[in-house]
Amino acid sequence: MIWGAIVGGLAGTFVLTTMLRAASELGWTRIDIPFLLGTALTTDRVRAKAVGYSLHFVFGLLFALGYWVIFVVVGESGVLLGALLGLLHGLFAASALVNVLLPVVHPRMGTGFDAAGSAPMLEPPGFLLLNYGRRTPLVTLAAHIVYGAIVGGFVSWAG
Amino acid sequence: MATVKRIDGFAPIADYAAVGDGRTAALIALDGSIDWLCLPDLDSPSTFGALLDAEAGGRFELRPETPFESTRRYLPETNVLETTFSTAEGTVRVTDAMTLPTGGLSPYREVVRRVDGLSGEVPMRWRAEPRPAYGAAVGIERRAGAHLVTCGSNAVAVLSWDAGEPEVDDGTVGSSFVVQAGTPAQLVLAAAHQEPVVFPARDETADRLQATERFWHDWTGEREYDGPWRDAVLRSALALKLLVYAPSGAIAAAVTTSLPETVGGERNWDYRFSWPRDSSFALRALLGLGCSREAQAFFSWLMHASQLTHPDVRVLYRLNGRPEADERSLPLAGYRDSRPVRVGNGAAGQTQLDVYGELLDAATQVARSTGGLDRDEGGRLAKIADHVCRIWRKPDAGIWEARSDPAPFTQSKMMCAVALDRACSLADEGFLHGDVARWRGEAARIREFVETRCYSERKQSYTRSPDDDLLDAALLMGVIGRYDEPTAPRLVGTVDAVRRELANGPLVHRYASEDGLPGEEGAFLACSFWLAEAFACQGRLDEATELMDELVGLANDVGLYSEEIDPATGEFLGNFPQGLSHLALISAAVAIAEATA
Repeated sequence: MIWGAIVGGLAGTFVLTTMLRAASELGWTRIDIPFLLGTALTTDRVRAKAVGYSLHFVFGLLFALGYWVIFVVVGESGVLLGALLGLLHGLFAASALVNVLLPVVHPRMGTGFDAAGSAPMLEPPGFLLLNYGRRTPLVTLAAHIVYGAIVGGFVSWAG
Repeated sequence: MATVKRIDGFAPIADYAAVGDGRTAALIALDGSIDWLCLPDLDSPSTFGALLDAEAGGRFELRPETPFESTRRYLPETNVLETTFSTAEGTVRVTDAMTLPTGGLSPYREVVRRVDGLSGEVPMRWRAEPRPAYGAAVGIERRAGAHLVTCGSNAVAVLSWDAGEPEVDDGTVGSSFVVQAGTPAQLVLAAAHQEPVVFPARDETADRLQATERFWHDWTGEREYDGPWRDAVLRSALALKLLVYAPSGAIAAAVTTSLPETVGGERNWDYRFSWPRDSSFALRALLGLGCSREAQAFFSWLMHASQLTHPDVRVLYRLNGRPEADERSLPLAGYRDSRPVRVGNGAAGQTQLDVYGELLDAATQVARSTGGLDRDEGGRLAKIADHVCRIWRKPDAGIWEARSDPAPFTQSKMMCAVALDRACSLADEGFLHGDVARWRGEAARIREFVETRCYSERKQSYTRSPDDDLLDAALLMGVIGRYDEPTAPRLVGTVDAVRRELANGPLVHRYASEDGLPGEEGAFLACSFWLAEAFACQGRLDEATELMDELVGLANDVGLYSEEIDPATGEFLGNFPQGLSHLALISAAVAIAEATA
């Protein structure tokens, strides 16, 4: 069952990343999670994206393991339950994780209190990530729901 | 010193200078207003488009509040612009550049505007009015100390230091401030695309500005021309470098779209594409100046882009190599009421046979300078030569992209012969393999056609089309492209006829005949430089030098050229700065230097 969570976490993160990238190409959002994560560690754009993608997959795996724990606790798994967890995960990501917690730990993330100071800063995401485009919350939620459904599906399939 | 005379809010085209970063470029007027900037790339929609709509297009003004005169220059051997404003209160200098990334975290695109007081206390004002997506009305938000405009997956932020307290008013952010010696102010436009905006710090933008100046200076220092028009050639090289789209190596024809060939007319085209037709000139110019890296990148891009349409070579491709370029009109007022304002280019669907000659000539230059072509490229070029054998008899739109029905054009046929000549040479030199006998035979048949049908005894010149008596400056390519020995009597007669019938002083018109469009156009600068080069190729060095001297004197105050000049008024017409004009200048200067040596 845990193997289902691991495979599902990787597959789900791949699909989630692809969905966000496609939304960006369609002009719906400017969110770029690998860039956001990677620039916490390096100022080199190319390296930041490479590091960011790796980190995103690690986090995707960790969250999938978290889902697995919940599935074990409730004694049930599946696409629908996974999608529901994905919805909650997406709401958490948009309202607290990226908006509140990431700026706290990200050395280059601006906040509403910063002025253009001595270090280059990244535009903060704002509540529900709305700073990155009005469709960003919808895109983010949809991507996380799909992620959750994939994880749930793989866990259920693995048995 | 000059004052800017805007007409209905539009500055003369010659009043613009360009700064860029190899991805996009901004046009800055003599009065300090950025009136054109497409983001994130040269062929993206404009964020500042006052060049094409003074009311709705958006601009970024920075100038004294009191009456002023201005003068400007590029910092020596760079694409960093320095404008000096003189007022009754004192003198102030504005340094503009699009910075290049230096390794740290920098904005996706960045325009830096540094303001230094030179004397007195000068009241200044700035006003940024971003209108992304060709004039969209957008709100301005304040975020993390910057003012931000967002539109889809794009955003621009305006930051200022010691330039007054910015105030927002109806989609505009700006302020007033007083500048004096020792207290510089700085403004930055930071743009993002598909990512959060990076808000730069002041000292980092200052460092990037310095690094950018150093980069341009070093790049220019590597150029190899040392002839009599060195400044003009180096400026042309720098202008050309602004048109090289670094992510792909493509060379854009110009920074702008729809600057008119006739003010108030409809000859307004989008030139933010790359034309394979220019490849031969581009390669000659780049290699002549020692830009082998850029030359190789452009040729690789050309082969990559044309792969999708092989063995057809399209008239133009997007800078990213895609072949589609659907043409449409924008609801903008147009430069001094010159409408329609077009984006995309309908010429993309035309057939132009001359392009094959340009491409194979470019391939020959690359093969000889780098020592070879890769196997795949050689194979494709051989197939293109076979393709030329099949299609050279067809009518086409010609080098000038006539929008009338396709017709046979002499220059197209000449360049088909050149294409096959070059294919044979490449085969003889072992760079490719193919049916050389067929290529030679077909080249001979093309020459027979041209010599029997496309030459006028009365004019002592080749003609625009078979069996007519009209002239075309494109026939000069017969000399430059080596359709025959440059001193062949018929080519000498053609050069004389072009000068006699199409030249107006130093300026040469493309043709004097119907082209399917209403209105008249100015003289075509590239043709004027081609005439100088043709003189040089024929050993007529005095004529070449005299003409070149005159043409070099026609550049604007910072050494840039548009596509055309009105011979009556000297007014610049057409898109700006124009790559082909600068390519032709470099090519002519190099040819004269070689002929003199």
